[in-house]
Amino acid sequence: MGTMSTTALTAHAPACTVLVSAAPAESPALTTEEEAVTAVDVPWNVVVWDDPVNLMSYVVYVFRAHFGYPDAKARALMLEVHHRGRSIVFTGTLEEAETHVSALHGYGLWATYEKAGEN
Amino acid sequence: MAHGFKRTRKGIVGRFEAPEVRLLQKLFSDVGETLAPEPREEQDPLEALVGWDEDVPEPTDPALRRMLPPASSDPEQAAEFRRLTDRSLRERKIAALRASSLALESEPVVLTTEQAQDFARSLNDVRLVLASRLRIDSPEDAERVAELTDFGKAESVEQYMGVVYNFVSWLQETLMNALLKTLPAR
Repeated sequence: MGTMSTTALTAHAPACTVLVSAAPAESPALTTEEEAVTAVDVPWNVVVWDDPVNLMSYVVYVFRAHFGYPDAKARALMLEVHHRGRSIVFTGTLEEAETHVSALHGYGLWATYEKAGEN
Repeated sequence: MAHGFKRTRKGIVGRFEAPEVRLLQKLFSDVGETLAPEPREEQDPLEALVGWDEDVPEPTDPALRRMLPPASSDPEQAAEFRRLTDRSLRERKIAALRASSLALESEPVVLTTEQAQDFARSLNDVRLVLASRLRIDSPEDAERVAELTDFGKAESVEQYMGVVYNFVSWLQETLMNALLKTLPAR
């Protein structure tokens, strides 16, 4: 069946917590001025977590094809995921972060979003 | 014997034997069934039509949980994200699996870049499911399974599944190498 080349990422997945329901994103009319400023100003990070299944070549491809990152940057991010357990692959608005997380889940990568500076 | 995928002027081309096609199509179809949203007895037909979901619980099946992971360490945020995206994520994955299954009907299999991306997602989802069934949670687990490469020597369902996992991993690796060549060199 040919040469096997299945270098995979190793495991340090985030702990799964019990999920409870949440309120939807507040509508602009209900958002106080303070919250509006926070939502706009505080950047959000998209984090990709390590796992022992996704191929390194696949992760590099996703970072290049989805984000348009150059090969060197995509490889550096992939290696950071691999060696440090997680890597911040994008920083931007909440809406952008949510869109990227959804796309990365579509690719089968374990991605989360969080406020910048939280971790 | 499969030859893996190669980038050619016509597109990304793969050649498969009939049993390999049947195996891949079965895997794609099984993963698609795993991803089908569970029917809700009390759901309003209009809500179903527009894709509105009330609370969507985190899947209990570990394989599904890996394909549909929590989007945040904040439970409220993760639940809200799941409510808004669970259905479309499942549908996107199922569509890619179906398209990939259909692409296997041709001999040889010739994929555009977009079709190849769908194929890569599908192979990856198959691997996530198999890895979950094989309990691959660490690099050591992955090494244990990586040794299983011969269908003729598989002596149990688990060993057979391990050989399948390695076959799909190898195939995905050839596809990724072909896809990486479609990107601008830089």
